[in-house]
Amino acid sequence: MECDDARLLAAYRDGDAEALGRLVEKYKRPLFAFLSRFAANPGEADEWFQETWVRAIENMNFFRQRHLIGWLFRIAHNLAVDAVRRRKPDCSLDAPQPASGEPLVERIPAAMLAPDAEVAGRDLGQHIAAAAARLPVEQREVFWLRMDAGLPFKEIARIQRTSVNTALGRMQYALAKLRADLAPAYRELQGNAP
Amino acid sequence: MNPHELERLLLLEQSGELAPRQRRALDAELAASETARRLRDRLRAWTAAVPPPAAAPAPDAAARIAARLRPPPRPAAWIFRPVWKPALAAAAALALFLGVRSFRPAPIAAPIETAVNATASADEVWTDPLDAEFTELENLLLAISTDDSLNVTKL
Repeated sequence: MECDDARLLAAYRDGDAEALGRLVEKYKRPLFAFLSRFAANPGEADEWFQETWVRAIENMNFFRQRHLIGWLFRIAHNLAVDAVRRRKPDCSLDAPQPASGEPLVERIPAAMLAPDAEVAGRDLGQHIAAAAARLPVEQREVFWLRMDAGLPFKEIARIQRTSVNTALGRMQYALAKLRADLAPAYRELQGNAP
Repeated sequence: MNPHELERLLLLEQSGELAPRQRRALDAELAASETARRLRDRLRAWTAAVPPPAAAPAPDAAARIAARLRPPPRPAAWIFRPVWKPALAAAAALALFLGVRSFRPAPIAAPIETAVNATASADEVWTDPLDAEFTELENLLLAISTDDSLNVTKL
C-alpha cells in the first residue's frame, strides 16, 4: 500500500473523519468511471461507489494487497460482475425502466442504434464505448480497468484472480472484437495514424 | 515476431510492464520492421480515442460513505494504552504474591520437649525455608516489571 494511503487510513482509524474524505477524493475518478461502465444508470453507479468504500473500510482487517486501489477495484469488480450476471438479459427494449421511466432503447448509445442514428454519432469515442458494452464481462472489465483506471496488467490479473497472460489475452480478444465491430472507424483511424 | 506477440509486447509497453528481455526484443522489432512501428502507432491512436469517463460521483459521496460507516474507533484512554500494560500486569502479580504470602498459616506450637531442645540450642536462629524462595520470586517479578524488552502481558 502506498505510504500516503496507509497514513490516511491510520488517521481515519484514529478518529480523523476528514482522512476518509481525502482518500475518497483521491480515487473517485477511476473507481467511479469503472463502475459507470457496468451500472445501468448513474444512480446505480453512485450506489456501487458508496458500497465499495463501505466494504473496503469495514473489511480492512482482511486487506492483504499492497495497493489500496487494487483492493477497491477488487470489491468494485465483485459488485459489478454480480450485478451484470444477475441482470435479466431478456427485458424489452421498449419497456419503461423503473428508475427513469424511459424505455431502455433511449439509453443505448449511438453505435447500437439504427444506421441513420449511427451516422449522426460521429464521435469515435462513443462508438468504442458502445461496442465495448457488448464485450463479454471479463474482457470488458480488462478493457476498462486498463483504459479508464490505467491499471497495469499485473494488478488487473490480481483483481480478476487470474494470470497476467490471461488478462493480456482478454485485452487482445477485446481489441480484436472492437476492431471487427468498428471496422470502418478503425480503418479511418489507420488512415489518420502517423 | 508474429503480430499477436508484437501486440502483447506493445500492450505491456503501454502499461510500463515490459521486462528487460522483452524491452530488447520489442526495440529490435520496432527498429527492423515498418509494420511493427505502424501497429504501435495505431494502438496508441486507438488508446487515445477511448473516451475519458464523463461521470463523477455525487459531490457529497464522501459524507454519505462516512454516514454509512460505523464511527471510527475513538483513541484508547491512556490507562488502556499498551505502555501501561506491563506495569499493570507486574503490579497485579506482585499483589497476588503478597496476598498469598499474608495468608500463609501460622506455625503450630512446638511440643515441650522440642521447646526444651530449642532452648538448648538458643544460639541457633530458626529461619523459614520458604523465605528464600519468596524473596527470589519477588526479585524476579520486579526485574520482569522493569524490563521493557519483555512483554509481561503475555506471561
